[in-house]
Amino acid sequence: MAEPKIGVFICSCGTNISHVVDTEAVREQALVLPGVETARTYRYMCSNPGQEMIGAAVREHGLDRVVVAACSPRMHERTFRGACRAAGLNPYLFEMANIREQCSWVHADRPAATLKATALTRAAVFRVARNEPLDGLTAEMCPTTLVLGGGIAGLTAALELAEGGYPVVLVERSDRLGGNLARVDLTAPYLDSARDLLTERITRVRRHHNITVMLHSQLKALSGFVGNFTATVQTADGEAPRTIAFRLGNVVVATGYREFDASRITHYGWGKLPNVVTSFEFERMLRSGRIETKDGRPPRYAAIIHCVGSRSREFHGYCSRVCCMTALKYAQEIKSAVPDCYVSDLYIDMHAFGKGCEDFYKRGSEAKTLFLMYGKNEHPVIRRAPPGDDCEMLIEVDEQLSGERIEIPADLVVLMVGMEAREDSAEVAHLVNISQDKDGWFIESHPKLDPVATTTEGIYIAGTCAAPKDIPDTVAQARAAAGRILARIARGRIEIDGVFAEVHEERCSGCRICNELCPYSAIEFDSEKRRSHVIAAACKACGACAAACPSGAVKARHFTSEQVLAQVEGLLS
Amino acid sequence: MAVRVNPKLITELAKYGADDVQNCYHCGNCSATCPFSKEPFVIPRRSMRYLQMGLEKSLRGDLEPWLCYYCGECSEQCPRGAEPGETMMSLRRWLTSRYDFTGLAGLFYRSTRAEIAALVLVALLTAAGLLAYGYIWGGGDLSAFDGGEGRRPFLPASAIHVFDWALGLGFLAVLLVNVARMWHFTMRSRRSPRVSAAAYLKHAVLLPVHFFSQKRWAECKETTPWKMHLGLMLGYVTMLVLVMFFLEPLQHGPGIRWEVHAFGYLATAGLLAGTIYALRGRLRKSRSSHRHSHGTDWVFLGLLLAVVATGVVLHLTHRLGYGTAANVTYLVHMMAVVPWLARYPFTKWSHLVYRPLAMYFAALQSEALTSRVRGQEQPAALARAA
Repeated sequence: MAEPKIGVFICSCGTNISHVVDTEAVREQALVLPGVETARTYRYMCSNPGQEMIGAAVREHGLDRVVVAACSPRMHERTFRGACRAAGLNPYLFEMANIREQCSWVHADRPAATLKATALTRAAVFRVARNEPLDGLTAEMCPTTLVLGGGIAGLTAALELAEGGYPVVLVERSDRLGGNLARVDLTAPYLDSARDLLTERITRVRRHHNITVMLHSQLKALSGFVGNFTATVQTADGEAPRTIAFRLGNVVVATGYREFDASRITHYGWGKLPNVVTSFEFERMLRSGRIETKDGRPPRYAAIIHCVGSRSREFHGYCSRVCCMTALKYAQEIKSAVPDCYVSDLYIDMHAFGKGCEDFYKRGSEAKTLFLMYGKNEHPVIRRAPPGDDCEMLIEVDEQLSGERIEIPADLVVLMVGMEAREDSAEVAHLVNISQDKDGWFIESHPKLDPVATTTEGIYIAGTCAAPKDIPDTVAQARAAAGRILARIARGRIEIDGVFAEVHEERCSGCRICNELCPYSAIEFDSEKRRSHVIAAACKACGACAAACPSGAVKARHFTSEQVLAQVEGLLS
Repeated sequence: MAVRVNPKLITELAKYGADDVQNCYHCGNCSATCPFSKEPFVIPRRSMRYLQMGLEKSLRGDLEPWLCYYCGECSEQCPRGAEPGETMMSLRRWLTSRYDFTGLAGLFYRSTRAEIAALVLVALLTAAGLLAYGYIWGGGDLSAFDGGEGRRPFLPASAIHVFDWALGLGFLAVLLVNVARMWHFTMRSRRSPRVSAAAYLKHAVLLPVHFFSQKRWAECKETTPWKMHLGLMLGYVTMLVLVMFFLEPLQHGPGIRWEVHAFGYLATAGLLAGTIYALRGRLRKSRSSHRHSHGTDWVFLGLLLAVVATGVVLHLTHRLGYGTAANVTYLVHMMAVVPWLARYPFTKWSHLVYRPLAMYFAALQSEALTSRVRGQEQPAALARAA
């Protein structure tokens, strides 16, 4: 191999780097390193003139390797790889030395920091000399999307994708579409009917030529990688139960939530006291248009208890987000249906964060709802009132705003049961290879910047399977997931980064240690050849397989032993 | 022991003027801005809470509404339009009705119509009584003052004296019973610390101090209402003293006796200024404390204006020598004054006694709680109060 021709470009980052690091000294030290043809400093290397400077130097000196000593590669690696590509270099013949985050920002001693920056730059120079040109791959993108779950999230995502012109298979476990929302009467805070919201969606989904709805169906297996998945679905939709397999490119997981089991809190007496009902049982009352006790009388006193199963040490620590506004809706609905009824609302904190919600809360106050605050990790106790009392039950609790231990009369008690991860969530997570948090909710790729993608490419999450949320947020997520998928389909093929693991077939003993180890299920076992094989598109280049392989058969491209050792040598010499 | 909440009380209080208390969500801005909300008192938030929850006994034993002078800062600061100032005002009305054992105060507050009917009735009875007295004992000549040459006055000062003293003592007796009830509700409540007789004596001076100076009110941001009220109150007390003790020289005439009448003029000026200030404020709704007017507020001011105006006309006609006109005015004046006095134990007027008493009781409670804290670990009552 001919001697490489390396160019070193040192950035001052305004004064971010140069106020601590003597960049001129770094440049002089770099010039004497083996293979270095030229070394330059510049105020902002990432700027257009900076990038052009790199291109000009490549042409002038016939450089075939580039090192930029600047900020973190997380910040500008993509930028400089682009600059190399524009100058006709393979972008993997480039290396970055981080002398800002790992040097100037964390050190104050100028000579020592300059020494460190010099060492980091030398490490990059040693490594880049051993870098190999790499090419990315492309793969086909199957335009079909599998949507798991027929609630408001699944329906919305399916419609959005179908309207985009691509086929959708909607798989729903139960025998009907609509999910949990179908059990709700009106929605807070604008009091539109849940039935109206759903009927429109369901009718359109049912009629859409791009959507295949499969009720009574479950995903049984999913193999392959983004753009090229194969799903196996077991379905009882139609005559005989059968299993079908089909190809697809992406998956939207919209499996929703289940409600907290109120019988787990024994002192609420749900299941024992006839007039203690859950919010979903109360929704049924509202839909039938009759708010009454079990013996058919309108209640004189109604009480609503928030955070049943939510925000407690014992059950779930999180807030279920929709119960506060739903409780306010109940208070107003009871007041308008039974004007003589006194409504007490027992809450821990009133979370009225959404659009229109603060006004809704105020309306609840104006309707003379008695708001009573109880403490976190405390439970109101419900018992039967003594005979002769003017109410059926008494709720005893320490009221926080007055500091009093109080008892509240009630003929009807509504428990605002929280949301929890479905019992089958672990199974679903395993099938589509995504992670769950401690509460069982599916984890997003980034909670703020990438909230609908997951760490598995091609698998998206939307709605309450990821965490409790209200209808607007659920719909927004469903549309976001669909939008992400449509954008990927529009690109036609999938580009796969050149950095991934490869199995050297001749060295592979077929021990399959790597198969189980891979966190992304990116390694397949070829049972004919009895060798493991990496699916490049699914590989995230974590290196676990390369480290574990007992015969050294796995090569992590761009992170070969030779490259890493050269980097270490550069750092230490 | 758990206390029962009563969601009905808030509806009951609406009749006393507390229309917006349900809007309060206890952010505490009101108490942060209130100059009087200092340990162990939380003004006005705690009273608002008791009211929302319908804790009638706690509310009945609550001194805090009396410690508020309705400067209106809390209502200005309230983000929810819960009108804490007006709620405290309404609670003072409600407390007045709780202290009053006759139940009349409650009746009048709940129905302005009943109050007006009662006033008209008393006015007519007064007219009938005085006319009957004048005809039977005074010889039927309508000369209330000196009766002219050698004639017996129609309503001699001595007779009026007997009458006003009897009336005054009667109402005082009613008021004393109410005061005793106030003491029992507040100082003997579950929440109140026990106060020794020595402490009662030690702080007794607070009663006249607060009665005459209302100095606590001067701590409010705006002091004009305090000044106007002080003028009105001192005018009223001066007039009461003149009538009760110096009626004879007051009625003598038509010549002016400056040693008495000078005080009368000053008192009248104070009364007129205070009344007009309050009436104008309520009509224009310029200050937040004047924005809401209960029916009884209008009756109070209307009647006060009638008393002062008839008094002024009476004085003028008498001094200018229009004998008959003066005598007719005298009767009309009495028709306003007697109902005015008769309302004393049952209406807003009783705050003349309740307020300084509350100030006195509050100081006693405050001291008892502080000394208890010094003596031992923090007791539960103070922990609650704080």
